[in-house]
Amino acid sequence: MQKLHKLLPPLYCITLMLFCQPIVAAHAISELQSAVIVDNCTAIKDSLKKVQQDDSRTRVYLGGYYETLLSKFVTPFNLRLVENSLSTASFVENQNLLASTRSSFMSDFVTYQRELEALINIDCATEPSAFYDKLVDVRARRATVRGEVTTIRTLAGDHLNLIQTLKEQPE
Amino acid sequence: MNFLKHFHDKKVPATPPESTSDSIEPKTANDTAPHKLTRGGRNLIILGVASILIAILATTVGLLIYHVSGDIYLDRSRPGFLPDEEEVEQNIEQKPAEYQFESSGKLTPETIDEYIEHYNKELQAIDAYEKPFDENVLSDEYLGIPSDSD
Repeated sequence: MQKLHKLLPPLYCITLMLFCQPIVAAHAISELQSAVIVDNCTAIKDSLKKVQQDDSRTRVYLGGYYETLLSKFVTPFNLRLVENSLSTASFVENQNLLASTRSSFMSDFVTYQRELEALINIDCATEPSAFYDKLVDVRARRATVRGEVTTIRTLAGDHLNLIQTLKEQPE
Repeated sequence: MNFLKHFHDKKVPATPPESTSDSIEPKTANDTAPHKLTRGGRNLIILGVASILIAILATTVGLLIYHVSGDIYLDRSRPGFLPDEEEVEQNIEQKPAEYQFESSGKLTPETIDEYIEHYNKELQAIDAYEKPFDENVLSDEYLGIPSDSD
């Protein structure tokens, strides 16, 4: 029984920590930030809507270019390498990475846009804290999309480097 | 004369027979009040209502798929997302010429050079988008929110 009494304080602490975790995880904003968000709510929302429109445009164009790269360049080129009995392992690996990153980019963009839309729908004039918390989440989603765009560009460049290596190889 | 007798026997009486206390129900539809619906009219209304309900259901399912699939975020025909004139012109200028690399045939240095040339054009079109999804546009500074340290 005494052992149980000794165990109780740590158990209380663990329970308290578990319950308070979401509260601690949420981003606390200062009074000044809260006041500014409330005052400039309309202007902030207008900026976010502009970002949403620009992102939609960028996604449509970049998505088109990525699709072209894969379907009209990389995939037929790799098929031709196979047909000509040339080493394709690194090319295929690059193509797979390109395809999977593009797929992630497409799905993560949708998730990001959903979060952004939810952010725009929050009434920042009455819920500045909830608005800011969501803004932090949206930033993280956007960073993911940004990272994938950078990866795709790097992989597209790697494909060119592989071709250069192939060209330099003796027949 | 025999046929005349037959005619008289079959002749419809000029006045309808007096209704007895047992025959309360009208015998034909013409006997009912003029504003009452016929069976055909009622079926027509049911058909109309059913058609409207099916149309509403189909539209709801369509919109649901449109949202869930994320197609809504790629749809630039939405109000406020339509490309402006400047964008259309810019797009025409930047768009690389249509090119498809053949997946069969001999791979010569000339073919590779041609491929690289077209591939680079595609990369240039991608690079025309400077810092796509730049993180700064959602920063406190950009949105006019003072940072924690302020």
